[in-house]
Amino acid sequence: MKRSDQQTDEDFREQCRRQMERPLKLRLKYGFYRVYRPVMDDAAWRSFRTMEEYRQWCERELPEYLGYRRAK
Amino acid sequence: MNGRREFRPLQAEEIARAFKKERVEYLFIGKSGAILLGYPGMTQDVDVFPARSVKNSKRLLAALGKIGFEIGADLERDILSGKDFVQIKSGPFDLDLIFAPDGIESFAQAKDRAVMEGIFPVANLRDIIASKRASGRQKDKIELPLLESFRIEYEKRNAPTLQSAREKLARKPQK
Repeated sequence: MKRSDQQTDEDFREQCRRQMERPLKLRLKYGFYRVYRPVMDDAAWRSFRTMEEYRQWCERELPEYLGYRRAK
Repeated sequence: MNGRREFRPLQAEEIARAFKKERVEYLFIGKSGAILLGYPGMTQDVDVFPARSVKNSKRLLAALGKIGFEIGADLERDILSGKDFVQIKSGPFDLDLIFAPDGIESFAQAKDRAVMEGIFPVANLRDIIASKRASGRQKDKIELPLLESFRIEYEKRNAPTLQSAREKLARKPQK
């Protein structure tokens, strides 16, 4: 049976309520992870004079599947 | 970049403690900030919005050095010179220093409306959402409806209803 958008949203809201009940340490434990991201992780650091320069760099350099490009 | 150190999620606490000890003025923003507030998502970036001043940046550099971030002379110069965005991957976390986040007018306004979640100073959820909306990225477009649903549940537990800095500014009487 296909779930309606409303049911899906209510399920997610229930997840939100449960997560807010959890202690901060658990939110940290399960909320942060590390995986390798090509290009982005290939330098120890980088800096940009403006946020616009950073956005342009993301558009130009990062693989689209990472999701950092501007939404169309 | 190879040879990265072991990742332990609770190292975020080390960052917060070190920043407090060095009296760094900052807020957690972005998805990491939302996660601290109870958003049921995951991220590998810790997004920090520091107040932009040389004094604060020097404190920030001292704190990062103490918790194991490798800060060379070039990186130090860029942090002190007032760049809008600095991304550091030479520490226990991937850390984004965002001195001018999209969609947020000023650090002072954001701080005025921020919340403390344990030891973490976190930007107002509405500011976090406003910033993500303003950035216009693909991954944020997907995440925004979920963040809005979370906001409704969050604000049921955290009255009074919060406004983003942008919303607050828009409601100011015009002179």
